[in-house]
Amino acid sequence: MLLKKFFNVGFEGIAVLERRGCGLEDLERYPLFAPQFLDFLRKAIPSHRHAEIASAVAITARRPAFSSPKED
Amino acid sequence: MAYFSDDAARSIIREAYARVRSEAAAVAEAYYEPDELARLPRGAVELALGVGHPLRHALLQPGEAVLDLGCGAGIDTLLAALAVGPTGRVVGLDMTPEMVERARRHASEMGLANVQVLEGLIEKIPLPDASVDVVVSNGVLNLSTRKSRVLAEAFRVLRPGGRLAIADLVLDEALPEDVLKSPAALAG
Repeated sequence: MLLKKFFNVGFEGIAVLERRGCGLEDLERYPLFAPQFLDFLRKAIPSHRHAEIASAVAITARRPAFSSPKED
Repeated sequence: MAYFSDDAARSIIREAYARVRSEAAAVAEAYYEPDELARLPRGAVELALGVGHPLRHALLQPGEAVLDLGCGAGIDTLLAALAVGPTGRVVGLDMTPEMVERARRHASEMGLANVQVLEGLIEKIPLPDASVDVVVSNGVLNLSTRKSRVLAEAFRVLRPGGRLAIADLVLDEALPEDVLKSPAALAG
């Protein structure tokens, strides 16, 4: 879905160079998240997903050498 | 389905990032090399909030112009400035005034004359068309309610042949509705 958005605006050479799971343990590193919020996530998200709630990806793409922005 | 309007989402995110404080470097230490972190002000390291290391894939060259979308306290902006050197330039863009101030302070502490930090929206980048060689971003695109707009803006400011390198979070499976409705989850 996200990669399609890259394509739709005109990027080329779109590549996913890294992909790794991001779970509750990873979120604990972030000062953005209070312990109460992490507790809420533990309860709200099924336990089988705790180790991988989302994926962290690295994406690269290129604006074609001969291109102009698409109109909205 | 969007649970927050554009303005509400921005307000929640601004507030969360303005008040964030940290005296640990756990996020930065997870993604960056110790010798990279050793070159940066402690504040930039402790306020790293990204989800990867997009510069590893950006292949920056001396003299290039770089834009860091959602630069936060500046960790990637500063490392990019070191990579492109004095003949290059880096623009950090962030919508949270407190983060803009932090990034500017960190660039100043490092004596970097090739860094400019702007306050603004990634959906409306305050730069001319085709004005940068590389756009990088770290854990920011997922925060926008208008991701296609952000990408279109990145495309616009890149010169033809320019490169984009981002690290971000994607959902492989929808989160429960309670989580999607949570302002704290939105800000993360």
